[in-house]
Amino acid sequence: MTKKEQTYRSYILKQKIVPYLFLVPNLLIFSIFIILPAIIGIYYSFTDMTLFTFDSPNFVGLANYTTLIHDEDFIAALLNTVKLVFATVPIIFVTSLMVAVLLVQPLKAKGLFRAIYYWPVMISAIVVGIIWQWILAGNFGLFNTTLKALGLDSVDTLINPRFAWWSVVFAIVWSRTGYYMIIFVAALLSIPESLYEAAQMDGANRIQKFIHITYPSLKAARLMVFILVTMEIFKTYPLVVTLTGGGPFDATQYTVQYIYEMAFKSYQIGLASAMSVVMLIIVTIFTALNFFVSRRGEDK
Amino acid sequence: MKKMSYVNYLIATVLVLIFLIPVIYIISSSFKPIGELFSPSPTFFPQTFTLDNYTEALSRGNFGRYIFNSFLVAISSTIIAILINTMSGYALAKFRFKGDNIIMLVILSTIMLPLEVIMVPIFSVLRFFGLYNSLWALIIPPAATPTGIFLMRQYLLTIPDEIIQSARIDGASEWRIFRSIILPNAKPAIATLAIFSFMWRWNDYVWPLIAISSPKKYTLQLAIANFTGEFGADYSSILAMSAISMIPMLIVFIIFQRQFVQGTVESGMKG
Repeated sequence: MTKKEQTYRSYILKQKIVPYLFLVPNLLIFSIFIILPAIIGIYYSFTDMTLFTFDSPNFVGLANYTTLIHDEDFIAALLNTVKLVFATVPIIFVTSLMVAVLLVQPLKAKGLFRAIYYWPVMISAIVVGIIWQWILAGNFGLFNTTLKALGLDSVDTLINPRFAWWSVVFAIVWSRTGYYMIIFVAALLSIPESLYEAAQMDGANRIQKFIHITYPSLKAARLMVFILVTMEIFKTYPLVVTLTGGGPFDATQYTVQYIYEMAFKSYQIGLASAMSVVMLIIVTIFTALNFFVSRRGEDK
Repeated sequence: MKKMSYVNYLIATVLVLIFLIPVIYIISSSFKPIGELFSPSPTFFPQTFTLDNYTEALSRGNFGRYIFNSFLVAISSTIIAILINTMSGYALAKFRFKGDNIIMLVILSTIMLPLEVIMVPIFSVLRFFGLYNSLWALIIPPAATPTGIFLMRQYLLTIPDEIIQSARIDGASEWRIFRSIILPNAKPAIATLAIFSFMWRWNDYVWPLIAISSPKKYTLQLAIANFTGEFGADYSSILAMSAISMIPMLIVFIIFQRQFVQGTVESGMKG
């Protein structure tokens, strides 16, 4: 083998190793902090692990899963989360789409409007909770003061379970609409102008144009928004910490908070892990459903 | 047609009020003396303007420390995120190698495993590696993000192979190519990743909640949340700190508004 051949061979070898080396830091972190915990979590879910178990925990089979099925509070938190998904996802979908449609109309200072609508997205969920708690809570908050100034009676706000529940929906919509609005704006701008011109010639009005051109063209964006919002709502927790604390009477307690407290306040790591597994399965089912429903739409 | 545009402006303005008034109200409240905060007839703007809530929070509430921790975490984690996600993006965009598709698939599927789903075992892992109650736990693990890799990969695909090939022919090492060709050419995508990463870390609550126990290591968000629960009465400090926690994001937002819009569109990025 000549020297040249040798260097060429070592070059080829190096080229084969290089991409793996560039990937090492990320893959290491993913393995240790995502994949490994996921596996450990599944393992824990079959054991009697507690926060104070330092030896290996005992294998208990499906005991945790039968316990959680009979845990009324967990089932309530889970159903509450599913209800939150069903209430919030369509509202965010509609508000962000409508705001996006507004932003593609001829409008001066469009950039400024867009920036202002996007701004709440950058506020942490903790502070969003503080903001709305400060406005809504109590008899002397801005909300009730405004009602009184308008000559209306003040109402029970965050101490009323129903009101508190819808406050969470409202705060999520308020803080997240701007984000999904941007996705829709981009999708709207990519619809070819010629489609609208053709419809114009056929004498279509604004609503007809929306139904027959705009809405069908947004298919990809719609699916993306549905999946992202659904996953996001399932993770609802920080907002609730400062807005309602999960109350009143657990009215705004959702899955993540319940699992967190089961693990770190009741110390039941095994049981909490089983609950996480159940939550993961449900989130996956919802994501798959989104795909499935949008596929079905395609066939028609 | 003219009438229509009036309606547009009307709706646009109403939306501005809905999005802005709550934020302005909390900022204006943070400048009210305690007496006014809990007055039975509150006004929108402070009648007496005071900075007491801020000085109180910083001097007695140890909030200076929490702000420092938040900056430390957000900045360090962002620097690491830029480095490692660009490295991965480069490998996936510019090399063909065994298992590249599988690695990409694994990376993207980790999106389905958000922290909220694995927070219980994460706690054990952090404890095992001695990262529990260390700010490193807030800096290193969250720096690797599937969306960051995806964003960098998509951008780096647009850099022509010829530049890289000719550098190779000139005998540049792969690391050298990464440093002096890939990084400088990826600036727009890096800017997008940087501001999103900063926002995610600055606003994060769940990671600090799981990883941090001693108050000295609280981040701003963790401190605000914990103090709301513990001393419901200390609203003056909480309002001041909530206002402060919005400032860095506001500055970043005003400077990099375009990148935020771009980043949201490009990848539907989620922390």
